[in-house]
Amino acid sequence: MILSDLLDAPVRAASGDLLGYVVDVRLVLDGPLDGGILVTPRVHGLLVSPRTGTSFLGYERTDVRSPALLARWLRWRHRGTFLVRWSDVAAVGGDVTLAQDYRRWSPTFPETVHQHPTT
Amino acid sequence: MKRLLGVALGVLTAIGGFLDIGDLVTNAVVGSRFGLNLAWVVVVGVVGICLFAQMSGRVAAVSGRATFEIIRERLGPRTAGANLVASFLINLLTLTAEVGGIALALQLASSVEPRLWIPVAGLAVWLVIWRAKFSILENVTGLLGLTLVVFAVALFLLGPDWSELADQALSPTVPGDEGHAVYWYYAIALFGAAMTPYEVFFFSSGAREEKWTVKDLSQSRLNVLVGFPLGGILSVAIAACAAVVFLPASVEVSSLSQIVLPVALAGGKLALAVVIVGIVAATFGAALETGLSSGYTLAQYLGWSWGKFRRPAQAARFHLTMIIALLVAVAVLMTSVDPIKVTEFSVVFSAVALPLTYLPILLVANDPEYMGKHVNGRVTNALALVYLVVILAASLAAIPLMIATGAGS
Amino acid sequence: MSPRVRRTALPYDVDEDLPREPTPAGRVLDARLHLLDRQTLDVDDVPVACVDDLEVRTASGSGDVTSGASPAYVTALLSGPVLGTRLFGGRPPASRLHRILWRNVADVGTTVRLGVRGEDLDVLWVERWVRDHVVGRIPGGRHDPQ
Repeated sequence: MILSDLLDAPVRAASGDLLGYVVDVRLVLDGPLDGGILVTPRVHGLLVSPRTGTSFLGYERTDVRSPALLARWLRWRHRGTFLVRWSDVAAVGGDVTLAQDYRRWSPTFPETVHQHPTT
Repeated sequence: MKRLLGVALGVLTAIGGFLDIGDLVTNAVVGSRFGLNLAWVVVVGVVGICLFAQMSGRVAAVSGRATFEIIRERLGPRTAGANLVASFLINLLTLTAEVGGIALALQLASSVEPRLWIPVAGLAVWLVIWRAKFSILENVTGLLGLTLVVFAVALFLLGPDWSELADQALSPTVPGDEGHAVYWYYAIALFGAAMTPYEVFFFSSGAREEKWTVKDLSQSRLNVLVGFPLGGILSVAIAACAAVVFLPASVEVSSLSQIVLPVALAGGKLALAVVIVGIVAATFGAALETGLSSGYTLAQYLGWSWGKFRRPAQAARFHLTMIIALLVAVAVLMTSVDPIKVTEFSVVFSAVALPLTYLPILLVANDPEYMGKHVNGRVTNALALVYLVVILAASLAAIPLMIATGAGS
Repeated sequence: MSPRVRRTALPYDVDEDLPREPTPAGRVLDARLHLLDRQTLDVDDVPVACVDDLEVRTASGSGDVTSGASPAYVTALLSGPVLGTRLFGGRPPASRLHRILWRNVADVGTTVRLGVRGEDLDVLWVERWVRDHVVGRIPGGRHDPQ
């Protein structure tokens, strides 16, 4: 599979109800070390938003709050975005279907370590 | 002392680098038709390009990422790809106009037909891109372009009615024989001439070429904040010269010989020689910038190796792109299109494409992942949002106004 | 207009405060935000390619990922013709994917740094072809600018 098979795919509940679209895929670097320097990224979950488009700007997930008017607008556009864990994904390929008892998590990026080294 | 020289050199090249065939033609045409009633647009454009260049230079210096890499990272491949196609074509149009401008200026100097000069000009531009060091290329053309100061001198020698010029500039009106739509169409053209996207591609990629770091930020800010406004004053002087000579006679400027006529009237043969040197230098410098920008944009979008600090063989696709762009520009000019007309279209389309280049830079300039503590301050962001609105409005209005006014005719 | 779901049609409340996940043990990257469309640089800081897509496989190395029942891993960065997929849809055959294996990635920041020389990677074959057949043959093409 390539990642764009997942990106922008419609996401449905087990009942078939449309929940949104895959706007990003959250990876965690805790997979096996495959003879390289970094461990392999594991697919941790999918970020699902009622809207595609502009979410790749990431304002609904990060602490960036400026320029204030733009940030607020982009955040508002993507309210309702949630993270669903990979283990709650029942089927991929075409539409993504979630398990019966899937759980929604906050899409917020869990760390603020993504700072430029000059700080 | 050496530091002072460096500062002076930076400012002087920024003045020379600000003016290109787009500024020359648009300001002269506008001056001949509207006097200084559109001079306020130059002010708006200069403040805009200062803001934009300063942000993109800071992003390049702090994060090491040039503008089109940022555009793709932020907008994704589709929107960025649309921007690439548009920017590349406009850039090619501008390159064509600049090479044509070199040929026209050389024709004025030699009376040899421009079609004989076009391949020579194209070859010379390529040779410099191929062999000359980046810093030499930037400084020499910038300094020679300074000779365009002769437009300001000529304005004094012409002895115009200063109060009338000041009146036009400070309380602008639409001249009686021109329509409002035409007035606003030329406002957008002037805005596009001052804020051409290629200047930003070149400026931010140049920061990488010269390996800027955070330490160079204050110097770059000074270059921009002093050099570009002085370049803007020269733009207004060009418009004022055209206004003094052509506006009373209701002659519309449509050729390069008309653009330099006020200088020749005021200062004679010597001044004419100086202004021709200035135009050759300004258009040659801008041809180098647009030629390089065609390589920068494509290479940065696709992730190729690029840069003049590398040997051509170490940035092969980058150099091949520039060769092809120059060949296309020369081929288009050989069909005898009028470079002045090409210029008029290129500045308007520049205004159309501007938002897609401006927005990603604004967003990244606020992103601590890239910028650390050098993110935009509140004042910059407030001004930047005002300009986002201005740029969007100009972009949306440009094509309808172009159709409605028959491209200003 | 990009596709969207009407918020009133959703089976949940969009303004609900969702619980935050416990911070995972490893570093977190959002693929689109932190990896896709970033520049890769080789060990000598020479640009190699843009990250056009990522290859995802199961633990056993199968590319046939059908559900979240078993873990999936990013095994390679993809570049080249696969960009067409993201631009226009469709799918290049697996044999035409140009891979940079994840084991060659040294660091992920605002650029993706590789621990190998680009010269040794097959994603750069077009660059080498242009160099060997066009640019390198023009006089001065292999010298430093003056």
